[in-house]
Amino acid sequence: MKSFAIARPGSHAAAAKLAADKTYTLPVIKSGGIDIIDQMKEGLLEPDLLVHLGSIGEGAATISMEGGRLRIGAGVTLAQIASSPIVIEHCPVLAQTAASAATPAVRNMATIAGNLLQRPRCWYFRQHQFDCLKKGGGTCYAVEGENKYHAIFGGGPCHIVHPSNLAPALVVAGGVAHLVGGKRTSIPIADLFHTPDKGVRTEHVLEPGEVLTHLTCDAAPASGFCGIKEKQSFDWPLAFACVGLRVTDGTIQSAGVCAGAVAPVPWSLPRVAEALAGVKVGDDAAIRAAAVLSGQDARPMRDNGYKVRLLGVAVHRAALKALGREAEGLS
Amino acid sequence: MPDSTVLLPTNNRPANTGSSMNDDASRLDGIAKVTGAAKYGRDVYVPNSLFVAFVRCPWGVGELVSSNRDAAMKVPGVLDVELTKKEGQYHGATVGHMIAESPAALSRGMSELACRWKRREAKTRLAEEIGEEPPIGEAAAAALAKGSKRLEADYSTEVQTHSSLETHGVSIDFKSDSAVVYASTQGTFSVRDGLDERLKLKRSQYEVVCEYVGGGFGSKLGGAGKEGITAAMIAAKYNRPVYLFCNRAEEHLDTGNRPGSRTRVRIGFNDDGTIVGGEIRTWGSVGPNKSGGGCNVPSGRYNLGDTKKAHEDVALNAGMPRAFRAPGHPQGSFAEEMMLDEVAFACGLDPLALRLKLIRSDAIKEMASLGARQIGWDNRRPTGSQKGVVRRGMGMGITSWGRFPAAVEAEVVINQDGSIEARTGTQDIGTGQRTMVGIVTSSTLGVSLDAVTVRIGRSTLPEGPGSGGSVTAVNSAPAFIAAAEDAKRKMLEALTQRMNAEPGELDIADGVIRRGERNAVQWKDACAMLGNAITGKGVNNRATVDADKTTGNSGGAQFVDLEVDTETGVIAVRRIVAVQACGRVVSRKLAESQIIGGVIQGLSYALFEDRLLDRVTGAMVNPNLEWYKIAGPCDMPRIEPILWTKDGTGARPLGEPPTIPTSGAIACALFNALGTPVRSLPLTPDKVLTALGSGERA
Repeated sequence: MKSFAIARPGSHAAAAKLAADKTYTLPVIKSGGIDIIDQMKEGLLEPDLLVHLGSIGEGAATISMEGGRLRIGAGVTLAQIASSPIVIEHCPVLAQTAASAATPAVRNMATIAGNLLQRPRCWYFRQHQFDCLKKGGGTCYAVEGENKYHAIFGGGPCHIVHPSNLAPALVVAGGVAHLVGGKRTSIPIADLFHTPDKGVRTEHVLEPGEVLTHLTCDAAPASGFCGIKEKQSFDWPLAFACVGLRVTDGTIQSAGVCAGAVAPVPWSLPRVAEALAGVKVGDDAAIRAAAVLSGQDARPMRDNGYKVRLLGVAVHRAALKALGREAEGLS
Repeated sequence: MPDSTVLLPTNNRPANTGSSMNDDASRLDGIAKVTGAAKYGRDVYVPNSLFVAFVRCPWGVGELVSSNRDAAMKVPGVLDVELTKKEGQYHGATVGHMIAESPAALSRGMSELACRWKRREAKTRLAEEIGEEPPIGEAAAAALAKGSKRLEADYSTEVQTHSSLETHGVSIDFKSDSAVVYASTQGTFSVRDGLDERLKLKRSQYEVVCEYVGGGFGSKLGGAGKEGITAAMIAAKYNRPVYLFCNRAEEHLDTGNRPGSRTRVRIGFNDDGTIVGGEIRTWGSVGPNKSGGGCNVPSGRYNLGDTKKAHEDVALNAGMPRAFRAPGHPQGSFAEEMMLDEVAFACGLDPLALRLKLIRSDAIKEMASLGARQIGWDNRRPTGSQKGVVRRGMGMGITSWGRFPAAVEAEVVINQDGSIEARTGTQDIGTGQRTMVGIVTSSTLGVSLDAVTVRIGRSTLPEGPGSGGSVTAVNSAPAFIAAAEDAKRKMLEALTQRMNAEPGELDIADGVIRRGERNAVQWKDACAMLGNAITGKGVNNRATVDADKTTGNSGGAQFVDLEVDTETGVIAVRRIVAVQACGRVVSRKLAESQIIGGVIQGLSYALFEDRLLDRVTGAMVNPNLEWYKIAGPCDMPRIEPILWTKDGTGARPLGEPPTIPTSGAIACALFNALGTPVRSLPLTPDKVLTALGSGERA
């Protein structure tokens, strides 16, 4: 780890200025530090200035309802989201997703902004000796190598899965990221990330000097999450799904479905959503049939074909959860 | 009704069922450990220390093409870089080391050193490196042919790394004519024995200290190791303290592992489940030095008729095996238990009934019957009979372990101020040795546990064994009984004289000197009457072991109740009952803890652990605790240890046997639930789905 300076700005605007400060070679914004510190220890990131956001007020650590939309400060922790009565009531998919991430210790430190903007956990990217595409090399080592946990969608050339658990939940709830420091003041979460073919060195579209201040999203009271993990303590999901439904008179009017851990970006599944529209809430077979469509365009690698099936199961169960039910046969 | 000489689990223990020397004592060092007051070797930073790191090969096979030593040496604080090899034969293989004034200088120096490696083809998969299989032997073929049915099946296990939380290494406080070596080791004296030449000191000039060990499981046996030897030589050369501990990745890569295995079973059996015979051929995946890959099947626990055994170690470009809690046993037990469940299934037999027929030891048969009652084996559904999304399964496995003798010297010192010291250099690797010594000493002497100060883990204390083979408690307890009895005898002799008592009139009970039927003198007053401190000595050696006819093998039987979600392939283990022979129980809580720990490690092995090598580059892709998966709190079943105390009055080995049968019992339970066997550990969702025929493959 190289020596670095640390700054503790009092406002997001000041943080944005520091992050764009040309007198430093690599200023980096740090929130909870879960990912940044990991990257520094792994020798993947050598900032000469860390801009620590922990001292910023401006509602950075609060959750509220404003004008029918949920507002979550950038510095709100996953633990806060998981246990917030407001989130649990108005956007259960977000609370459930936050609760499923990592460990209690990590959830107490990790912030929503950091969760969205963290770098991928691909084991080739994370080990210094692999000069993979993300590090400017010419190879995605996962193609010929060990790809059990890699992407089944996206078409490469890099096959990471997006690491954020919360992004798919926010996509389903019409989430928007609010920014300072750049030309725009907001961007929909659905547009925040780009696929590797649009640039393999980064995962999101923010410019240096753009700082995420807070997030807003619609209330999505009929929403649910289902993640399938090998281990039930401290593990990344093999596949997960977030489903938001609009239900009237016992019929699903419209749906939003977004998957995680299966693609380099939060992976929206519009065909599943379309198939869910018009389905009676009690018609389990129709919901299951819609869920199976999630795997239609999958292009699995050598060792991750099992994810296709898991995704279908996750979508099915998340949809049932959005309806306040559990899949039959599960206790 | 439970047998009166079996100790049921603490949480539902009926009164007066068997006995231990101490039921309730907690670890003497428990609070120190959870508060951080306990200082492990890794915690010891001696002022003015040099820091050392190894230069390691990043690929399965790598040739060191170039490096920039000059640039590294220019980094402020870097003192030396020594590159001694041009090639590494596995990821993590050391080719040299760097010495610096600080960890920061080391890390900068390493990046300036800029080693460039040429990658060569590496051997990464056991299945691919197994050569042409020799034909089955004539005798085995004949036995195979005699059975009315036959089973031909391949079972495989992956490499498990020890993943010690405290990584391997030493911190040496070196002064020109003396040194204290703070080691993280399972053998305080084995570290001492290796270091005199390296430190350039006489044995009397240095001390090895190992008060606490953050996990070893076999990987910290056998001397100072690469880390200790390198650190000692540097300390002597620079005449300075040295700190050298592995980081997390190095701990996975180069400090040992449980080798992977493949077991090819070809056996013939009859309709009643009798095994006629055949051949069991095993392979172990090892490092480039091609040794240490044993896979213990047939284990000898079952009557397998005329079954021949053949084994071969297969070299991979990967870190080398080291002893790991019951070396060779869990991988063999997994294959053996699964094989028996498949035989039972083919014959339409209950797997418990089949085992009761084949188990050689009557004691283990009894333990199996007891465990079956405790888990509720009667509720087990026939294999493959369930149709629901979530299916229930039960399985079992058995274990056994030998008693190995080890020399132990023990001292019990009674001082004139009333303090009592129990002294042995033997380390406590987390098993509870410190507490065990305290309990044995205090109860033999007739005083309370908190009256005894236990001094362990120093090479200047009386000599004891390395913690390997489950020998420490078994061999230390008799030595401390002897030492405490010796101290007591000497003290009572001295007091008899001072108090003009009749020989045999005095005794010690509850910390008081008794004269006949009455309390005569308080402990402190009695000690003040002593002319000198009293030292009781005790030894344990081969003769003591041979003379103790009551101790022998430790058997056991484990039972698993689990659920598997057939849509996701995810397994949730609900309960594990572990019946374990332990002879005389010194501390009920610690004995149960040992069994629970063994079960947890076995469960983690069964479900998750897998050292994964990249098939292209030979690098380990998961040298961390994020992707090298170890079971966590939410993966834990209810674990019910049952201490079997029926067959012996001496202490029994307890460290290794409880981890042997767990993985096999879990795999058998999964087979019971699914109706189709998963013959490969770890039992991950992708394999479960594939077994069910629903895993979509590219």
